[in-house]
Amino acid sequence: MKVGIPRGLLYDQFHPFFTRFFTELGAELVISPQTNKSILDAGVQYCVDEACLPVKVFHGHVCHLRDRCDLVFIPRIMQLYKGEYICPKFCGLPEMVTNSIPGLPEVISHPVYATTMARLRQWAMASACPITRDRRRVKSALEAAVDEQSRFRTGYHDQGYPIKVALAGHPYNLYDTFINMNIKKKLNNLGVGVITEEFAGGEDTAQEVRALFKKPFWTFARKTYGFIAALASKKHVQGVVYISSFACGIDSVIIELVRDRIKDFPMLVLKIDEHTGEAGVDTRVEAFADMLERSCKHESDHSPYGQCLYSCKSPV
Amino acid sequence: MKVTIPHMGNVYIAAKALFEGLGVDYVIPPLNSRAALEIGSLHSPEEICLPFKILVGNYIQAIEQGADTVIVTGSCGPCRFGEYSEMHMKLLRRLGYKVDFIVIDAPKSIGFKELLARISRLTAHSPGTKGRKWLALAQAVRIMGLLDAVEAKAHEKAGYEKVRGTCKNLLKKCRQEAYSCGSPDKMLDCLNGYNRMMNEVPCDRTVTPLKIAIIGEIYTVIEPFSNLYIEDKLMDRGISTRRLMTPSWWIRNTLLSPAGLNSPGIKTASRDYLPYYIGGHARECVGEAILSWKSGFDGAIQIFPMGCMPEIVSKAILPTIARDKDFPILSLVVDEMTGEAGYVTRIEAFVDMLERRRNHVVSGY
Ligand code: SF4
Ligand code: SF4
Repeated sequence: MKVGIPRGLLYDQFHPFFTRFFTELGAELVISPQTNKSILDAGVQYCVDEACLPVKVFHGHVCHLRDRCDLVFIPRIMQLYKGEYICPKFCGLPEMVTNSIPGLPEVISHPVYATTMARLRQWAMASACPITRDRRRVKSALEAAVDEQSRFRTGYHDQGYPIKVALAGHPYNLYDTFINMNIKKKLNNLGVGVITEEFAGGEDTAQEVRALFKKPFWTFARKTYGFIAALASKKHVQGVVYISSFACGIDSVIIELVRDRIKDFPMLVLKIDEHTGEAGVDTRVEAFADMLERSCKHESDHSPYGQCLYSCKSPV
Repeated sequence: MKVTIPHMGNVYIAAKALFEGLGVDYVIPPLNSRAALEIGSLHSPEEICLPFKILVGNYIQAIEQGADTVIVTGSCGPCRFGEYSEMHMKLLRRLGYKVDFIVIDAPKSIGFKELLARISRLTAHSPGTKGRKWLALAQAVRIMGLLDAVEAKAHEKAGYEKVRGTCKNLLKKCRQEAYSCGSPDKMLDCLNGYNRMMNEVPCDRTVTPLKIAIIGEIYTVIEPFSNLYIEDKLMDRGISTRRLMTPSWWIRNTLLSPAGLNSPGIKTASRDYLPYYIGGHARECVGEAILSWKSGFDGAIQIFPMGCMPEIVSKAILPTIARDKDFPILSLVVDEMTGEAGYVTRIEAFVDMLERRRNHVVSGY
């Protein structure tokens, strides 16, 4: 039995869990390659026009797997934490894909609630059904998978750069180097180090979130807002680079909340979709790095007016 | 305290009755217009959904007329609407407006005590007794129900009326007259009267007009300004339309959903295509498409604002339903740039296609 796993959306964060689970069940895995031009093109061709880039790319990955496996796994991630959601598109992802791409093999799309072990077990039993009915095996596969995931770490935390920025955005925008045109490398080459939210949890973040009128009910919003707000207000970084997808409803909210919180703190918002040209991104990243460098110098020169002269609002 | 509410279809009429019944001071913002939208788009983040922008316009226009407290419903996602109030508050504060928000949220998320505390902030300013307040609320709900009923009848009968335009004119008169009534009691009488008149509009039930269901995102289907008055346009062409989403439906749905008793029809109908609630009203949209096909409609029109996350999911599903059931569905996306001309052309083309199908009974289009 060949199970296809698309390397899209939250794959980068949860692949240890999903791959281990299906391997333990005795399935053979087919994983789509890193995102590339042909995957992107297939995604754009099949997906509804209005969708955001990451969802289109996901369609491309499924399309790649279409004739290469007997079962496609499309995670329907409903909740990772109690009382929080991911995004409506995640909940309806299997429907979007199966209604847009013709000729798909059978799909595994049971809802994942990672809130309690009991709910995960429900998911595991249902998802394992087409592969094995041995309940003991499913149980031990789930345990192995959870264990594997708990040892897995993502995130960047560069050391030894003169300037440091917070790199924020949804995980798939941050870690899919094709989607983001390898932004981290670009920044590093310009002498800018990055830190991501995995390395900045803790009390500061939680406190920032509590200060909101209403607790955000999206996991992304809570984490990213807290991360940026905490780092910016404590001045642990010199700037923020936010990678966002065009037409992402969640980002439009997070960015607005963040802007309101950090005011004039330098933030570069890069919005990407399938038409984004690399040259334009380069120019903007360079200009931003330049500006940070200059304002850093100014601060150490002790600007006579006691304020940062080059604080800028992002043009987007 | 001078309260206000944002616009959404006919809600302002029921809200007026409620505030008058309670005896609190209020401002109803000017009806939605280009001006409200322009003010809203100017101050809102560019990528936010259309309803957010129009609401900002409503708030600012109301504040300029003296409002200092906004009453709005909240929700806890998973869609953006749940974050609206927080963003609106911050945005208005940044613009220098001093305004309070009373967010009526589901007790599930803020707790029952907090909900009562918020409601009492409104009713504290009302001079009446407790009984009066309950009466005011009951009357407002009744008024909303009557308004929705009159509107639904007008939309349905527009296809059968003997004199084209009777229903549309009657509906327009009904809104105007109800709004100018001085008290909730008078408003109820007035609406009952119009309800009766609407029943008596002379109809020819032997004709078979086109029947189209209006489905999609709740704000854009209910608020006529945001969908460029699509229902009026269809009435003008003598097409009978139906829309399930109304403010009264919303009230009922919200009250019943904690018990899982809301819209059983929708749940069954959508099971094969979208078996989960994903946020917004995507599931209702899919369910309604199926239900309207079952009840013999000719087609459906889905309307949603640019970038609306749940409706993008339903848009991906609707073509399959259209194919499976041989039931044409048109998807219209609206935002502040939507041009009237292109929009009307698409509706006309869709209607023409439905007419051709009727005449030739072609299968597949
Ligand atoms: S969170 Fe944003 S980018 Fe991710 S799937 Fe949802 S809309 Fe798309
Ligand atoms: S349902 Fe659509 S329009 Fe409504 S808040 Fe969500 S994204 Fe915006």
